[in-house]
Amino acid sequence: MAPRSETLESLDRPSHSVTALGVVAPPPIHISTPVFDGSLAMLFSCVRDHRVDLLDIPLAPVCEAYFHYLLNLPDADFDEAAAALAALAYLLERKAWLLLPQEEPEPDMYEDSYEPEPSSIGDFAMAMEVLTAWQEERSEWFFRSPDAGPGTYELPYQLANVSALDLSRAFQRVLDRALPQEMPLLSKPRRSLNEEMQVVLDRLSGEWQSLTCVFGDSATRTDCVYWFLALLELVRQGDAEVKLLDEEPVFARNQAPKAKVVFD
Amino acid sequence: MTPVDRVLALLFVADAPAPAQTMALALQLTEGQVEQALEILEAQLHERGPIQLVKLAGGWQLSTKKAYAVDIAAFLKPQASKLSRSLMEVLAVIAYRQPITTGELEVIRGVSCDYGVRALLERRLIEEKGKRQTPGRPILYGTTDEFLHQFKMKDLGDLPPVSEGLPALPEPTDAAAR
Repeated sequence: MAPRSETLESLDRPSHSVTALGVVAPPPIHISTPVFDGSLAMLFSCVRDHRVDLLDIPLAPVCEAYFHYLLNLPDADFDEAAAALAALAYLLERKAWLLLPQEEPEPDMYEDSYEPEPSSIGDFAMAMEVLTAWQEERSEWFFRSPDAGPGTYELPYQLANVSALDLSRAFQRVLDRALPQEMPLLSKPRRSLNEEMQVVLDRLSGEWQSLTCVFGDSATRTDCVYWFLALLELVRQGDAEVKLLDEEPVFARNQAPKAKVVFD
Repeated sequence: MTPVDRVLALLFVADAPAPAQTMALALQLTEGQVEQALEILEAQLHERGPIQLVKLAGGWQLSTKKAYAVDIAAFLKPQASKLSRSLMEVLAVIAYRQPITTGELEVIRGVSCDYGVRALLERRLIEEKGKRQTPGRPILYGTTDEFLHQFKMKDLGDLPPVSEGLPALPEPTDAAAR
């Protein structure tokens, strides 16, 4: 099978012609299989009219041809593309239904012309007498019952001289010694900016160091965000200083005492 | 431990007929060895004691001897399990014509068999064996191992002969059932 989309030249045909798919015909995607050779529109029409067995036609190459048509024809008419998509969707749905297991049809006549042999209940009289006698004989035999024997909870058990109170006290002692269960936090703990500022301030020294050195290698992304904001706040408050050294911002702890703001 | 004792131990705890093949697997013996042990055990128990070895429903099982029935019945007070005539009719037809549908049963008996079939199903003497591939797919019924057990039969080949003219019991087949 060699489905292919036609060239642009072949698309020079009267558009908006009335077809089986509606007003707009799908693009002339050609499909060639041992059982069908023709355009996508023709395949759609034949399948709809049950003139072609769709099970004999692989649809994956047809879909590929459609994609090829879309990718290689930037000026393609959207109406044509939509018509082709509708035709493909119809074919795929029809094929999907065909591939589903068929429900076994209800037989409409006897397959093996079965008819019960004519007989009457009188034919069984002798057998019934024998069976009745056998049942009576059998009723004089007794077998181990399937539910013989005590159940699991009926079995006797030995507790020696241990009483229920002893067990209860022992259990209470274990409970008293047990550690309280840690309650998991329901949400993430909220980190205070003041605390983070103190952490960053402790990391700063009188020497200039880059941001990487201040944060270290063990910081998580969240730590970095918190600490960076804390550092900015420290700079704003005058507890830290910043300057550029070789185009790299470096930070240091401000050793000079901060000026006090006095409000008169 | 002799094979006879080992087989006796299994039969003592078994609450259903135990096939020789199953016992052979459990005891790591050949089926022939188990059959031989069963023969010896059957003879030993027959000679003395209140217990006997019987072959029922495709297996072997220990039971009390008939002579002790009165004592045991007085002790256990078992419920009467005798079938009524109508139930016996339904059961006999099913036993000889299985697998059979309710409709075919009614053709033979000439009366409705719904109650009889339901009662025999509750007693586990019959069971569903499939469906006939005819319009409506009616349920096919056949007898159970419990039926063989209750009527002290080894298999369906032990069914008593019926009057002349009735066709022979068909070979069990799954062709009609699905």
